Amino acid sequence: MKPENKKRLMIFIWSLVGVGVVAGLYLYAGKEPFIRTTLSGLTLGSLFFMVAAGLTLIFGLMDVLNFAHGAMFMLGAYMGWQLYTNPTFIFGMLPALLAFSTGIMMTSVIKPYLIRWEISSKWQNFLPKAAYFLALVIGVVAFWGFDILQLANTAMVAATTTTAGNPLAEISAQEPFVQFWYRPLLLLLSGLLVAFASSKPGVKTEFAPLDEMKSKLVLPIVLFGLTILSIIIRESAPVAILLMNGNWRFVISIIVAIAFGFLFGAIVEITLIRPLYVRSFFIVLMTLGLSFVIQELVQLLWDPLAYQMVRPPLFAQPGKAANLMEWLRNGSSTIDVFGVTFPTYRLFVILLGVVMFVFITLLMTKTRLGMIIRAGVQDPQMVEALGINVKRVFTFVFALGVAMAALGGIGAGPFLPIQPAMGEQYQMQGFITVVIGGMGSYVGAFVGAFLLGMGRAFGDYFALKLSLSPAIAEASTVIIMIIVLLIRPQGIFGKKE
Amino acid sequence: MSQTPLKTKKPFFLRFKDERILLILFALMLAFPFVMNLITGSGLNDGITKFWQGQLIIFFIMAVFAMSYDLLIGFGGILSFGHAASFGGGAYTFALLMEHWAPNFIGKYRILIGSLDITEGIVLLIVFLAVVLVSILIGLLFSATSIRLKGAYFAMLTLALGTAMFILVKATDFHEWTGADEGLHGVYVPDWINPTQNRLTIYLISLVFLVVCYLVMKRMVNSPTGRVIIANRENEDRMRMIGYNPVLYRTIAFVSASFFAGLAGALYSIWNTSATPTMVSAVTTVNALIMTILGGMGTLVGPILGAAIMQTISQFFYTWFGARWPLVFGVLFILIVMFLPYGIIGTWRMKRNDIKGGWQKLLRLLSKKEDL
Amino acid sequence: MSDHNQNDDILIIDNIHTFIGQFHILEGVSVRVPRGSITVLLGRNGAGKTTTLKSVLGLTPPREGKVIFDGMEIQGKRAFNVANLGIGYVPEHRAIFRALSVMENLKLAERQKGDFNRNADFIFHLFPDLKRLYKLPGNHLSGGQQQMLAVARALVPDNKLLLIDEPSEGLAPILIQQMMDAIRELSQKTTILLVEQNFIMASQLAKRYTIIDDGQSVHDGLMQDLVNDQDLIHQYLGASIKTRKELEKNHETRK
Repeated sequence: MKPENKKRLMIFIWSLVGVGVVAGLYLYAGKEPFIRTTLSGLTLGSLFFMVAAGLTLIFGLMDVLNFAHGAMFMLGAYMGWQLYTNPTFIFGMLPALLAFSTGIMMTSVIKPYLIRWEISSKWQNFLPKAAYFLALVIGVVAFWGFDILQLANTAMVAATTTTAGNPLAEISAQEPFVQFWYRPLLLLLSGLLVAFASSKPGVKTEFAPLDEMKSKLVLPIVLFGLTILSIIIRESAPVAILLMNGNWRFVISIIVAIAFGFLFGAIVEITLIRPLYVRSFFIVLMTLGLSFVIQELVQLLWDPLAYQMVRPPLFAQPGKAANLMEWLRNGSSTIDVFGVTFPTYRLFVILLGVVMFVFITLLMTKTRLGMIIRAGVQDPQMVEALGINVKRVFTFVFALGVAMAALGGIGAGPFLPIQPAMGEQYQMQGFITVVIGGMGSYVGAFVGAFLLGMGRAFGDYFALKLSLSPAIAEASTVIIMIIVLLIRPQGIFGKKE
Repeated sequence: MSQTPLKTKKPFFLRFKDERILLILFALMLAFPFVMNLITGSGLNDGITKFWQGQLIIFFIMAVFAMSYDLLIGFGGILSFGHAASFGGGAYTFALLMEHWAPNFIGKYRILIGSLDITEGIVLLIVFLAVVLVSILIGLLFSATSIRLKGAYFAMLTLALGTAMFILVKATDFHEWTGADEGLHGVYVPDWINPTQNRLTIYLISLVFLVVCYLVMKRMVNSPTGRVIIANRENEDRMRMIGYNPVLYRTIAFVSASFFAGLAGALYSIWNTSATPTMVSAVTTVNALIMTILGGMGTLVGPILGAAIMQTISQFFYTWFGARWPLVFGVLFILIVMFLPYGIIGTWRMKRNDIKGGWQKLLRLLSKKEDL
Repeated sequence: MSDHNQNDDILIIDNIHTFIGQFHILEGVSVRVPRGSITVLLGRNGAGKTTTLKSVLGLTPPREGKVIFDGMEIQGKRAFNVANLGIGYVPEHRAIFRALSVMENLKLAERQKGDFNRNADFIFHLFPDLKRLYKLPGNHLSGGQQQMLAVARALVPDNKLLLIDEPSEGLAPILIQQMMDAIRELSQKTTILLVEQNFIMASQLAKRYTIIDDGQSVHDGLMQDLVNDQDLIHQYLGASIKTRKELEKNHETRK
């Protein structure tokens, strides 16, 4: 038999088995429980996919097993939730962040001049270290006495005093400008020092041409303008955001979560992971430590409590919509799907997962970046030899993966309790998904996630029916994984080494 | 052309020459409760003497656990996230048998040698045999499902298996037996090793346990089998070409590590007369991982040192940094991974000469100043 | 060898030492590549020819020594920077991207938008097969086609220098001829530094040669001198005795 025909036969047999299982479940469970379980399976699968997509992309390109992915999922939820209920925190921190990044972005401007500086190797060694140290000291001074905890704590008030739909949180006053002004300035200086150190003054082997200086200045100038803007709107923006329609606020919080995840991922990759590519074993330990630190940091800021995020008004009104149009008009909290009452927000989560899958598919197949990623999975060295900065691509992919996890986090925010440990379970399921689907394959992650989600949902259904605890169903996902690995050790869509 | 390596048999006492420091430490530890007793005069099973014995007992047991983990990652190059399953498996086997089987047995039967009642001894023996059996079985289960995989796949599969164990232990379905979330508490332990009534016995037992485990593991690492395991870590393909079966040797490493971890778990279960789901959770594995990294992977002394540091840190960091001390600790961990990847002992061994030279320079500097 | 002016050299490799891990692979390699011709690196397997190419590109950066490309020191710089200066690399074992189609493989090599469209005619003129296979994924190509794609990929941007590693490896004789013709035509446009085991091919294409042995460059000169120097060939390239015999035959027929 030809291998292609064999492949086709296998696909045929497996789809037959799949259809058989689905039909069997339908007949066994009856129509209503079947649809309900399927829908909740799809919801779970969508969440699993949002975690697994980033994991599998990062693993495929860089062989990095990110154990901090769950923590980043959680961080995304926290950031989105903060903007939704307590914008004071984000807008209070924004000037500092923007000032610092303005400084760092000056790297590309000053580097061409600095590397042409004639200094001895002793100074070449010493100057960056001194600059890093100084930057750290200035950074500490800039934050000294800055009450971050109080900014974060406003949220706790907000969380308890909100009304459904369009909550108006109490906005406590921020530091007056007279006290605040020097902080962004110092952070700008600190960022400049980091830029100075990272452009390696005097090192001849660095490469930076002196041409096109004007275009390099654009980004720092834009960031500087944003910094000033953010200082001005520090007090007014939170009020404006809180007065906004809840739906728009939710959209903004999704954008903030994605942006934060992207930025955070980029920073983590550049500072913590990049030095360790040569000793890849330690990357796992690093990300493990990182997840630990993130969780502790979140507990420090918002206490080890579980918070409930209010659903946006589009999903909040009590009542049941008969169809999609009615839901969109009334903002009902539940909707009728083939005779089953189903929460509308979960429908939205399913949609979010599918949209993300479409986005990744388009990115990977239609863009030059996707081409670079697919090529880099096979041979990063050769990609570099073609004149492409692979390290920058690595940073981008890591940041993208983290941004997707953060999107998953804010997507899950309105129906999961927001707490420091909320990412762990999803990280575990994300790992299992990635293993089932085949490491590095985003299609595999998609299929694996929905397979796993269905497995979990029907596992829960049967556990309930046989009066077992849901823990058994949770443990059974591991069995699914082992079965898949025994049949196909490289995962469903994985390629053989 | 084959040359048989020269093997000189050293006299018995000289064979321990390398372990000089160990022997001294052993003696110190042995004398510790008595010295404390003399100084404080509070009695061997009382007050501060008792407290510090307790701290040291935890240290001894965790040191063995960390060493067994080092056998995996340091020597075998196997990054397993399910090692707590062996530890917790040992603990739960012990606790379950002691809770549900031993009292019945002791109530029904008496085993006597002359007038000496050895029933409890026999029961403990049987229970420990069961612990050994279960921990080896857990090792084999992990090996059978995952040992053929490599790298990230392996790490994830062990993590998933470990988590599955954790979930099963916590499942309410087995509440009658395992106590679900709360675990088993107040497990029956014979009086003479009961940590509240007779702490000195358990102190000495765990001390001897640590020393014996250290010697056995050292012997194992230096044996031909151990060498193959280490070589496997360095270059598996080459070992396969030479004719060794890497999977077999990885399994050996895995099962023996599981064996030691199981024993440590059972002892830990004696020490706090309980078995809780935390012992099976990933937190426990990560603890062992941190101890190993801290002290230095691939050295047996490293994990012991790491365990000592961890034990101290968890004592003092709380008073220094408050409830969020793990934050400081996590940052420290990241710094260690970045800048001291070979741990304290590993870095010391690599830079021993530099450090010694530096010290001598410093001393010379100081002595010169004194001269002036 | 002072038979040519230094300014004519597009690439000067000056006594480089390269380590891979803890292994000292190159222990002093010096090569000169004059502009507008083909220079070939000869040597036994494992002598360090491929590592020399990778050291030029910065994939295995040399620890000592200098690499001067077009008057600029490039040792220690990152590979993508070096490549963007105008160096194309054709790796050994036809390392094309198997997950990408032929078109994507070629488009990926663009340094500026439109590179490919500009040079497409020339590429398809050299390798007409590729036009037919335009949409196929890389893993569906045969060995020869993959090799052609690998060379074509280096032609997409306008490179000043091409580093070509064993283009004839594992190819059928008729394809070797085609490849030779292509490389000869290429050398009209750019400079080529070639690594080649097939001595016939090397001797017919190259103008100059450098022999690398045990990580050191031991001999260099004009190719026409080498083909007549039996002793030298025997000393350093002895592994290919069969090739030498064929070479002698070749000479007789030419005479």
